[in-house]
Amino acid sequence: MIREFVKYLFYFVALIVLQLLVFNNIEFASYVNPYIYILFILLLPFTVPKVFLLFNAFILGLIMDLFMGTPGVHSSATVLMAYSRPFVMGLFSPREGYQSGTYPRMAQFGAEWFVKYTVMLVIIHHTTFFYLEVFSLNHFFNTLLRALLSSLLTSLIIIFSQFFVFRK
Amino acid sequence: MRNLFRFIAQHHFLIFFLIIETFSLFLLINSNPYQKVVFYNASHKFSGRASVRMSNIRDYFSLHYENRKLAEENARLYNNLNSSYSWLRTDSVFPGDTLARRKYWYITARVINNSVNKQYNYITLDKGSESGIRPEMAVINTDGIIGIVKSVSPNYASVLSFLNKDFTVNAKIKKNGYFGPLSWLGKSADYGTLVDIPHHVRVAEGDTIITSGFGGVFPEGILIGTISDFKLKGGNYYEIKVKLSNDFKKLDYVKVIRSFEKVEIDSLENASSQ
Repeated sequence: MIREFVKYLFYFVALIVLQLLVFNNIEFASYVNPYIYILFILLLPFTVPKVFLLFNAFILGLIMDLFMGTPGVHSSATVLMAYSRPFVMGLFSPREGYQSGTYPRMAQFGAEWFVKYTVMLVIIHHTTFFYLEVFSLNHFFNTLLRALLSSLLTSLIIIFSQFFVFRK
Repeated sequence: MRNLFRFIAQHHFLIFFLIIETFSLFLLINSNPYQKVVFYNASHKFSGRASVRMSNIRDYFSLHYENRKLAEENARLYNNLNSSYSWLRTDSVFPGDTLARRKYWYITARVINNSVNKQYNYITLDKGSESGIRPEMAVINTDGIIGIVKSVSPNYASVLSFLNKDFTVNAKIKKNGYFGPLSWLGKSADYGTLVDIPHHVRVAEGDTIITSGFGGVFPEGILIGTISDFKLKGGNYYEIKVKLSNDFKKLDYVKVIRSFEKVEIDSLENASSQ
């Protein structure tokens, strides 16, 4: 239990540092910015209480907001994404359900399940994030394009991370 | 009452979600300029030191580029020295002359946090009110304009970047002096848009755009960029696309300009508009 806790605390810190140091510096023509810190919400075990999930998402979003100087934008998007997580899981649930002792990883549920799960939640987060950031419906399609292109890049990075980091 | 408790127990996930999401949106919507400044100051306290560390590391990668820029600027300054001219008359003014009145004072600072990918971008500098930086001062570097200081804490300053939809600067076409407001439309970090240039003015691709000096924040003649495209909008005015001379993705050392005339200009203009 304690080991689990320490492991997830490490993921939490490592993802924040990675996002701030590496991924915030990636952008193509101000259209594509990956926000990979949400991988933390994707990785949390099935057994995590739902309320704790929301609380985690809020703290994570708030830390991002503090570092990037955007009051409320990251936290709103991340909390909405965490709220949708149980529903997305239900939507893509395998025939025998999610058994105890399993984790939401590609190695355990297969590539197809993981890709669907990731892409769905990343799109929810990024669409909310980019519209809240612009905070107007002017340039509607421009914002949509930015959200979708960034979702694509974030999803790709997260899926690749499953091959290299979270192999078991 | 028991029904209420049962309702809460049943829907605690939804209720808790609504509370947190409302709070987040409250943070977002309720941030009027004053609260934004408060948030930025809190943000600086929290992340200022970390940003300094990161920027120290990042500096190593741009040393070569910065060195070249410094060398170029040194050469330019040497060219302006009195000793670079042969004086026809030795009784003319010299830089320390008491007849000359100082208009601008330059403070160098370093960018420790910067973004180009948002719609409202801000830049953080490593100097603040203790170094003499005040809100409303102009920020430039060798390549052109960067922004205007928005808020300061004792050791840090937050700068409204040119790449911010709230930013507007009065600009003019260098060759004929026609001026208009120049702003950023929030798309590419390489282009700004100049409007209100009447249709009879001759413009051409490649024309230089500089600051007009109106308002007293920016000195006159600071480079902004060159015209890359223009079209008539509504038949009477040009909408001109300006390729920015500054690469906002690799800002490092900047100059903050204190204008000694702005207070006087402002008070005069306020007095006459009342």
